[in-house]
Amino acid sequence: MTVLGDQRSELTTPSDLPPLVVEARDLCKVYRRGAEEIRALDGVTLSIRAGEFVAVVGPSGAGKSTLLQLVGGMDVPSSGCLIVAGREMARLPDGELTRMRRECVGFVFQHFGLLPTLTVEENVALPALFGHRHARGRVQELLERVGLAHRRRHRPAQLSGGEMQRAAIARALINSPAVMLADEPTGNLDSATSAQILDLFRELNAGGQTVVVVTHNEDLAAAASHRILLCDGRVASDSSA
Amino acid sequence: MISWIRLAASGLSRRRLRTLVTAMGVALAVAALYSLLAFQRGYQNGLRGELDRLGAHLLVVPKGCPYDAASIALHGASWPCYLDEAYLATVRRTAHVAVAAPVMMNAVYEAATGAQAVYCGIDATMRGVKRTWRIDGAFPSASGDLLVGSERARERRWHVGDWVDLPGLPGRSGRVSGILAPTQGAEDLFIYLRLEDAQRLFRRPGQLTHMLVRLDDPENSQRVVDELRGCGAGLEMNVVPLAHLFQTIQNLVQSTRLLLGCVALVALLAAGAGVSSTVLMAVAERTREIGVLRALGATRPMVFRLIWAETAVLCLAGGATGLGAALMGGRLVESWIRARLPFVPSGPLIQAETPVLAACMAATLLVGSVACLLPAWQAASLAPSRAIRGS
Repeated sequence: MTVLGDQRSELTTPSDLPPLVVEARDLCKVYRRGAEEIRALDGVTLSIRAGEFVAVVGPSGAGKSTLLQLVGGMDVPSSGCLIVAGREMARLPDGELTRMRRECVGFVFQHFGLLPTLTVEENVALPALFGHRHARGRVQELLERVGLAHRRRHRPAQLSGGEMQRAAIARALINSPAVMLADEPTGNLDSATSAQILDLFRELNAGGQTVVVVTHNEDLAAAASHRILLCDGRVASDSSA
Repeated sequence: MISWIRLAASGLSRRRLRTLVTAMGVALAVAALYSLLAFQRGYQNGLRGELDRLGAHLLVVPKGCPYDAASIALHGASWPCYLDEAYLATVRRTAHVAVAAPVMMNAVYEAATGAQAVYCGIDATMRGVKRTWRIDGAFPSASGDLLVGSERARERRWHVGDWVDLPGLPGRSGRVSGILAPTQGAEDLFIYLRLEDAQRLFRRPGQLTHMLVRLDDPENSQRVVDELRGCGAGLEMNVVPLAHLFQTIQNLVQSTRLLLGCVALVALLAAGAGVSSTVLMAVAERTREIGVLRALGATRPMVFRLIWAETAVLCLAGGATGLGAALMGGRLVESWIRARLPFVPSGPLIQAETPVLAACMAATLLVGSVACLLPAWQAASLAPSRAIRGS
């Protein structure tokens, strides 16, 4: 069944459905390169509910990463409405956007994004440091959850690709975000390791974590309960399982 | 778990060679700055102390460079020319002169030790100038009596009453009538004897090397100088007011210090430019990493503070290394200075003082803070999306 954001809210009673975590209406993002204008997103409308496992797919240049960065508060829309965890992102000042990124969003990068001179547990604790929180217990819990407790004193150079991505996932969860965003999380991994990461995402989602993944990986896309296809900056299809 | 200091220190460890080279630049600049500041205070204190120990307000020396003469009078050496002893009476008759003490000084080379021994022929009027002298024994009164400096007596193991061979003067001997209490100056190595004995020993009958003059009131110094310079003997002698001497030497040293200060300042600015360049490069290399930090929730001020903290750690480490090297290498620097300045007090020239050390570290931190302003602002201004995408 294909459901678009507004239609979904008309067809069902709000109390039956999990709350909306992300809601976008006519979202646009335009980049200017000299005189040239590039419309990375051109009127995207979608919604994501709590607890969903969402895969954002599409060809290169479709606007997938741009969408993720807007939802993650790393950039601001050029026009349209974007609401994440109840906050309208376009109106937030930089300080508030930063707080949103720290408290409401957990981001996982394709290139892992670990600081090479810090240990695994120090990397995982970074968002807590920025939030002026002590998180020793939470770090230990997350490392055990992703299967890296025995590697906590190792540096990224001593880890495999899969281990680094699991550390990055633990870091993204340190502040218990409303939504975890992952941009090509298996892009730099082999198929076996990618399968491990997929299992981890499934496990987290089964525990109630909202996960949004941008991916070219068919297995990962197939595992998602909600699939959004972007093409040329627009939503070509938006289907839920 | 992790602290801001740990985060800042980890940033410095990724390019260790570059960090080390930059820190060495800071260390060199701080060492130069410290040596300059500590030297100025040490020199001033040493000079004032030496002139105070001299006990005189005026120095009367033969015609020639007064500064060389003052240096010889304070530190001991052989003189190139002499004064007629008859001028002593002229000086003593001058109004406001309380005491005029004659001195016949000579230095001889002692082959056995390779050192020089300084002899000063004096008379009883010297007690009126050297009021701080404390003598164990008696002032030389009979022919052959010696008043020995404490350090000289210690190294020779001389005691009051001993008959001793005169160092550097084979076949000559004398009796130690007294030993001078330590003066913390060059006098601790001098050997004093009766004026007549010295004139006879060095074949300078009726001649002096210099006179130490004490006034009834130091305020009358210029009046006495003018009178002495205007008298008949004034053509044959130089009258050196020691207060002016102090000021003139200070002015000479001040000029040198200004020049060296400019050099130290340039060194500090160069070190600051090096720090700025290093931090700019580091920010450029870590653009993606900074984007990740921003994506994880670091605010712009946090990123700014992180870059500043890294720079501060770098500069403080370099500064501490420079100060340590300067403190340990102080003796080498002193030797270099002594060989080049015409008048150098005998005490330590570079004195370690807490305010100087603190000022150097503060200057290091200030230069580092200014140097990191641009790169820290650049880092803080990076938009997370562009930073992550751009690398």
